[in-house]
Amino acid sequence: MNTLIFFQTAFAGRRLATLGFLWLVMITVAALAAPLIAPFDPLEIDPVGRLAEPGWPNLFGTDHFGRDTFSRAVYGARMTVIIGTGSVAVALLAGGLIGMISAYFTRLGHFLMRCVDVLMAFPALLMALALITLLERSVFNTILVIGIVYATTTARILYGMTLKLRGEVFVDAAVCSGAGHFSILFRHILPNLVSPLLVQASFIFAFAQLQAAALDFLGLGLPPEVPSWGNMLSEERIYVTRAPWLLIYPGMLIVLSVFSMNLVGDALRDSIDPRFKDDIAGV
Amino acid sequence: MLAYTAKRLLTLIPTLLAASILVFLFVHLIPGDPAAILLGDTATPEEVAQLSAEMGFDRPLHVQYFIWLGNVLQGDLGTSIFFRQPVLSVIGSGAETSILLASMTMIWIILIGLPIGILSATRQGTWIDQITSSGAMLAASIPTFWLGLYLIMIFSVTLGWFPSSGFPSLSDHGGITNLRYLLLPSLTLAAPNAALIVRLVRASMLDVSREDHVRTARAKGLHPTRVAIKHIFRNALIAVAAAFGFTFAALISEAVVTETVFSLPGIGRLVVQSILRRDYPVIQGVILVIVVLYMVVNLAVDLAYARLDPRVSLK
Amino acid sequence: MKLKIWMKSALAVGALMTLTSGAYADGMLRYATVGEPPSLDQQVVTSDLATTIAHHMFEGLYTFNASNAPVPLLASGETVSADGKTIVIALREGVKFHNGQAMTSADVLASLQRWGEFGSRGSLIFDHVDSVEASGDYEITINLKEPFGPWKNLMAFINGGPAIYPASVMEGATKEPISPDQYIGTGPYKFNEWEANRYVELVRFDGYISPEGAADGYGGERATNFDTLRFIPVSDVGTRVAGVRAGDYDYAESIPGDLFADLDADTGVKTMLNGGPIFGLVFLNSSDGPLKENFALRRAIQTAIDKTPALQVSIGPEGLWRANGSFAPEGSVWATKAGTENYSRGDAEAAKAMAAEAGYDGQPIKFMVSTNYPFHYDSAIVYTKQLAQAGFNIDLQVYDWATLIEKRAQPDQWDLFFTHHGFVPDPILISVMNDNYPGWWATPEKKALKDRFTASSDPSERQEIWAELQALIYEQVPTMKTGDVYTYNIASPKLKGLGKQTLIWPSFWNVSK
Repeated sequence: MNTLIFFQTAFAGRRLATLGFLWLVMITVAALAAPLIAPFDPLEIDPVGRLAEPGWPNLFGTDHFGRDTFSRAVYGARMTVIIGTGSVAVALLAGGLIGMISAYFTRLGHFLMRCVDVLMAFPALLMALALITLLERSVFNTILVIGIVYATTTARILYGMTLKLRGEVFVDAAVCSGAGHFSILFRHILPNLVSPLLVQASFIFAFAQLQAAALDFLGLGLPPEVPSWGNMLSEERIYVTRAPWLLIYPGMLIVLSVFSMNLVGDALRDSIDPRFKDDIAGV
Repeated sequence: MLAYTAKRLLTLIPTLLAASILVFLFVHLIPGDPAAILLGDTATPEEVAQLSAEMGFDRPLHVQYFIWLGNVLQGDLGTSIFFRQPVLSVIGSGAETSILLASMTMIWIILIGLPIGILSATRQGTWIDQITSSGAMLAASIPTFWLGLYLIMIFSVTLGWFPSSGFPSLSDHGGITNLRYLLLPSLTLAAPNAALIVRLVRASMLDVSREDHVRTARAKGLHPTRVAIKHIFRNALIAVAAAFGFTFAALISEAVVTETVFSLPGIGRLVVQSILRRDYPVIQGVILVIVVLYMVVNLAVDLAYARLDPRVSLK
Repeated sequence: MKLKIWMKSALAVGALMTLTSGAYADGMLRYATVGEPPSLDQQVVTSDLATTIAHHMFEGLYTFNASNAPVPLLASGETVSADGKTIVIALREGVKFHNGQAMTSADVLASLQRWGEFGSRGSLIFDHVDSVEASGDYEITINLKEPFGPWKNLMAFINGGPAIYPASVMEGATKEPISPDQYIGTGPYKFNEWEANRYVELVRFDGYISPEGAADGYGGERATNFDTLRFIPVSDVGTRVAGVRAGDYDYAESIPGDLFADLDADTGVKTMLNGGPIFGLVFLNSSDGPLKENFALRRAIQTAIDKTPALQVSIGPEGLWRANGSFAPEGSVWATKAGTENYSRGDAEAAKAMAAEAGYDGQPIKFMVSTNYPFHYDSAIVYTKQLAQAGFNIDLQVYDWATLIEKRAQPDQWDLFFTHHGFVPDPILISVMNDNYPGWWATPEKKALKDRFTASSDPSERQEIWAELQALIYEQVPTMKTGDVYTYNIASPKLKGLGKQTLIWPSFWNVSK
C-alpha cells in the first residue's frame, strides 16, 4: 500500500515519466508473452528470404540469416528484462549487503570499504571485458559482470545512507529493547531504505542495458546466438546502408527503454526522503 | 593539512599493492597462450611450450608476480609480447590519442553541458527546464556506437565534412589540424557525458540556491543573473569541478567503444586488442596505469575538498 | 563576454580543421587492414595480412606470374639434373639489401637453412633435401634425397616461405620471428616504422633493382610510384567501408559479400575481386574423442550437411561463392570431381541411418567456432541446425579466435572446429596435408598417397594422385570443405595500375594515385 502511494505521488503531473512507465510495462508484457506475440521463431533461418524490407509478414524486415526482426525484437525484450533485473539483483544484493554491514560494523566496514575503493579504481568496462574473457560468454556471466560493476557504487551509496540512519533515535530505541544486530539491520534500518533502493535499481537497470549493448558490440557480451537488441545491432551493423531497418529498430528500442527507465528513476527520486536524494547519482 | 595529505598518501600504498595483485591475477587467469598465438597455425605443441618457457610463462605465478612488481617499481612495465616494444612506449602512443580525445570531449562537455545546466537551474520548473532536463536524459540513453555509426554516415560519408576514422599523431603530416579526426568521436563521447553534467550542474545549483547567503543576496535586491552567476554558480562549481576530474579519468578508459567505431589508436582499443592477443604485459600495464590515474584523481579531489572545507580533515 | 570570444575561436579552429583535409601528399598509399599482423617475418608467419605488407619488402628466389606459375625473382634461372635430384639455381647479380649490402649466395644459403629448419612450410621441402650448398658467389645447389615435384611452387610461395634475408640476420634465428629492427630485405619498399596500434609504414627503397621484363602477376618489372605505403589497422569492417567512401583510405580489405552490389554500383569506390577463392574448412578430430578412427560416423556428419544455405547466409550474392567440392577452384589444373558426390548431400534421413550404423548414441559433439570471422560463425549456425535435424547432439562453443587456437591444439577439447584456408598454388600446401595440423590426420592410406604425390614431378601424374587424395578426404573425412568464397577488397577510384583482380595478396608496386 505504502509503495502504491509512493508511486502515485512520484508520477503525479509527470506525463513523460508516466509514458515511460507504460512503455516499460509493454516491454515486460512482451518479455513474458514473447512466444505468443512473436509471429515467427526468432532463430528460424531462411536463406531465400534474407534481408527483406519491412512489410508483411515481416513487420521489421529480416536479417542476413533471413530471421524475422520483429520476432527477434520481441524476444530481445525478454533479454532486456533478464539482463536488467539480473544486474539489479546482483548489484543490490552484493553491494547492499557490503554497504550496510560496513556501516554497521565499523571495523570490518573500514576494511570492506577499502576493498570497494580498490575495485572502484578499476575501469569498469575494461574490467568487464577481462572478466568475460575469463568466464566465457553467457547470459549469466554478462549479468554477473555488469552486476559486479554496479555493486561497488551501490555499496558506497548504501554505506552512506546506513551511516545516516545509524544515529537515528529509532535505532537506539531498538538497541535498548534488546534487538540483535540482524534484526536492527534488516527489520529496522532496511525498511527505511526501500524507496531509495528502488530509485538506485531503476538507474542500474537503465545503465545495465547500455553496458550490455556495449559488450555485445565488442563481441564480448551475450552469446551471439541469443536474440538481444545489442546483439542485433552488433551482428547487423555492416548493413547500415544496405538494410537500414536492421539498425534503426533495435537501436530505437534500446534508446526508448533506457530513456523510460531513466525517467521513471528520476520521478521516483524526486519523491523519496530528501536526506537520501543526493546519494543517488543516476542521470 | 600536511598531516592529512601524508595520511592519504600512506593509505594509497596498500590500495595500490592490492590493485596490482588483482590486475596480475586477472590477466593470468585468461585462457589462451600468447606463445601459441605468436607462432600461429602450424606450430607443434613442443615449439609452443619452448617459446612459452623462453618468455617465462612456465614459472610459478607468484614468482612471475614478484618479478613483474620489481620491474614496475623501477619504472619498467615489461615488453609487449606482440609488438616486441617496451610496454611504456606502446601505452605512450595510445595515451596521446586518449588524452587528446578526453580533452576535446571535456571541451564539448563544458561548452554544451555547463550553459544548459545553468539555464535549466535558473529556469527551474519552466518548460525550458523540462525540455533541457528530458533532452539531457535522452542523450544519456543512446548507445554510443549506434550514435557514432550514424555520425560517420552523415558527416563523413554523405557530407564529407570530417574524416571518418583513424587519428594520425599530432607529430604526423598535418600537425595540429589532425585534431579534426577527433571531432566526431569527441562529440559521440560528449553526448552522454554532457547530459550527466547538465543534470549535475542543475542539481548542485538548486542546492546552493537554498542556502542562506543566496537568500541574503536576493534580499539585498541584486539582479537575479548576478546572483545566479556570482553566488550560486561559483559555489556549485566545487562539486562540478570534482565531477570533471572523475569524468576525465573515466573518459580515458571508457572510450573503448567509441575508439572501436572510429578506429582510434587509443588506450581502450589497445586493451581490447591486447586481450584478444593475450598480450599480458600490455593489459597489465594499461590497467595499472589507469588504476593509478584514478587514485591520483581521487586523491586530488579529496585534497581539494579538504582545503575548501576544513571539516573534512577532522574525520 | 569571455565565453563568446572563446566560442568564436573554437568555431574558427573547427572551420580551419574542416578546410585543411587532404593534407596527405599523393605519395602515400593508405591501406585499411583487418588488424595488426603478429610479425612480418615471412619465413615463420603464415598470416595473409603479414604477407600483404611484407611481400613489398621481402622477396624469394621465385614468385608467381598471373597464371600462378612460378617465375624467377631473385633467381635468374635454374638447371635440374636428369635424375631430378640436383637443382642448381643461378642468382641475379647486383641485387642489394635495404642495408646496402649486396645479396650473394651466402645470404641465400643462410636464409634457406633457417627456413628449412624453422620455417612454417620449410619442412615440406626440406624433408626431401639432402643438402644445400653455395656452389658459387651467385649460385646455390640443392641436393634432394629423391625427386620432389612441387619444389618450385613451394619456393615461390612467400607466405611462410623462403624470403631471403641477409646472412647476418639469419645468424642464430630460430622459430621465433625476427624483430622489426631486423626487417632487411631486397624488395622495392623497406621497413620504416611500426607504430603500435596505429600503422606499419614502408618507404621506397631507392637502391631497388627491379627484375627485367613486363609485369606479369608478381613477376617482371616492379616500379615504385608511392613514396610511402601505410598499413592502418581498422578492425571494424563498417569503418573500413565508410573510410574508403569518405576518402580516408585508398584501399580496404576483407569486405562482406552483402555489400558487393551497392559498392560495385557506387562510383566513389572500386571493387577488386581476389583471384583465388578462399574456402572454409570444418576439421574433424582424428586423434581423440568420438570421431577418432570412426570414419563411418564422420561420413554420417558429412552427409547431414547441405553447404548451399550456409554460403547463401554467410556470403550473400551468388557471384561471390561457389558450392564447389573440389579443393582446387574451377579452372585450376588441380580441380577434380573425385569424391565430390559426397560434398553436400544434406540428407538428414540417410545421415541418421549412417550414424546409427556407426554406433552413434547421441553423445555430445563439441563444435568450436570463432566470431572474429562472421562467415565462420554464420555457417556454423546453419550446420548446427542441419546436424541437429539429423539427430546429432551438437555442442556449439563460440570463442574468440585466440581461445579457439589455444583449444584446438589440445585433442581432448574439441571434435569439430571451423577455420578457413587461403588460395594455394599447390595442394601440398593445404593444411590438411600437414600431419601436425590440428585434426592430426595421419592414416597409412594418406601417407602412402602423399609419398607418391611428392615423389613425382610429372604434372599429369601428380594431378591423378591428387584426385585420389581428394577422394580419400571424402572417404575418411579429416576435414569438410564448405565451398569457395571469392573475397573482394575495395579501392579508391583514384588508384591507377591495379589489375582487374588481385592474384593472392594485393601488391602496390606499379600502382599510383
